[in-house]
Amino acid sequence: MTQQGVPAVRAEGLVKHFDGGDDTVEAVRGVDLEIQTGEIFGFLGPNGAGKSTTVKMLTTLLTITDGKAEVAGADVVAEPDEVRRRIGVALQEAGLDPRQTGRELLTLHGRLFGLDQAAAAARAEELLQLVELEGAADRVTKGYSGGMQRRLDLAAALVHEPEVLFLDEPTTGLDPASRLTVWEEVRRINGHGTTVFLTTQYLEEADQLCDRLAIIDDGKIVREGTPAELKAELSARRDGAEISLDDVFLDATGRSRDRAAGEVQEVSA
Amino acid sequence: MNATIVLGLRSVREALRQPDALFMTMFIPIFFLIVNTGQAAKIFPSDTTGFLEGQSYGAFQLPITLLLAASFGMAALFLVEEIEGGYFDKLRAMPIPRYSMVLGRLVAEGVKGIVISSLILLIALPFGIEIASGVIGFLLIVALSALWGIVYAGFMQLIALKTRSAAATNSGGLIFFPLLFLTPNFVPREMLTRPMEIAATFNPVTYLMEALRSLILTDLDWDKILPGFAVIGAFGVVMLLLNIRMIKTYD
Repeated sequence: MTQQGVPAVRAEGLVKHFDGGDDTVEAVRGVDLEIQTGEIFGFLGPNGAGKSTTVKMLTTLLTITDGKAEVAGADVVAEPDEVRRRIGVALQEAGLDPRQTGRELLTLHGRLFGLDQAAAAARAEELLQLVELEGAADRVTKGYSGGMQRRLDLAAALVHEPEVLFLDEPTTGLDPASRLTVWEEVRRINGHGTTVFLTTQYLEEADQLCDRLAIIDDGKIVREGTPAELKAELSARRDGAEISLDDVFLDATGRSRDRAAGEVQEVSA
Repeated sequence: MNATIVLGLRSVREALRQPDALFMTMFIPIFFLIVNTGQAAKIFPSDTTGFLEGQSYGAFQLPITLLLAASFGMAALFLVEEIEGGYFDKLRAMPIPRYSMVLGRLVAEGVKGIVISSLILLIALPFGIEIASGVIGFLLIVALSALWGIVYAGFMQLIALKTRSAAATNSGGLIFFPLLFLTPNFVPREMLTRPMEIAATFNPVTYLMEALRSLILTDLDWDKILPGFAVIGAFGVVMLLLNIRMIKTYD
């Protein structure tokens, strides 16, 4: 367990460069973070800002170019297996084995986290009930809908009761009902004491779920605080105008609504 | 039970779920066995062709059938599918030895190799092909074929890990494929043209093929059998080291 008073996530000067021959891409350029145990922390940013790269470094999936990070009290570089034992990860795409059934997949994860067959099967049953997939438990995951895949992915990340749960855009592509189900699940998991590190592009999601949040743009954190603090700070700068988290995001990333809309059009084209 | 075995059992389960893939793995090599034997059997009658040791030309062709079947492993394609789909990262985020992620699939490839080579031998027996080295020879043939399947699949996995692309992995496999044919697969090595003989002599698969052939055509001849196992041992070690290195530095 994370020691009392030790932050669930602490990063100092986190840097990630990708070498591409003559070009070096600086994806993350000195990120500092401190997330307390039990928080739901939101990590926002436009596409390509460095959200997923930061998550991948903190979850040991990418090497760190510079800086240091500790997750659940363990050093990400020096003790990667210790970090892996203490975290759960649901990445941007629901990464599921398409040829296993939901039950087999959860049982497999239990085994890989050191449970014996009986304990892993029992834990799988418990999680299937939790994410309401008992009816589809014995079907291969290839046939699951997007929402079902997300819920199973979330369940898979919880098999070993992690101290810190990383969710990288967990509701992207989901219909509103499935999105609300994931939100409820995140709240419930957090209610049991699990720290949640959540990246999202949906500002409403961050506003609804997160105790604190940070906005990253171009590889650097440009705002950090509670949603209320961030809105109040911008409101004060705008002579008391009513401010939404959208306004905070646009102000922090230097984007105008027109420019953001233009980017969306470019992507969809 | 360690992670390698847990992941290996998962891969075996996957293979069992796709019996059609198993059928295709056997169909092409058996097709070649029938066609090649049909085309050349008259040239090499068993009663006047010394190198056949009294058996049919089909017995002489059987090693290439076994090696072909063992080279149709699906491990690399399943791996690259996991990489592209994101499940590989899910596994990487677990506290399991990195090597277990690649070895698990190879364990299943070995099990599949045992099943396929046994089936091919059992199919061949009613057609007059005998295993001259007996039951021990049968087991050694199965072992050599399955181990070759593991080594070959391991090299394919390297391409999958390096390129992370199904298309590249598929076409990368073609690089290794000619090795199966730069061998004395139609006639013994000494009967090949000089350039082909040189190529076959430098091709390690030749020694594997000659080991298999000796087990089918003659009694246990360790001078032929051991080089086959040596080739697999040497390439197996190289394959394992490269896989472990690749997975440890995977970013």
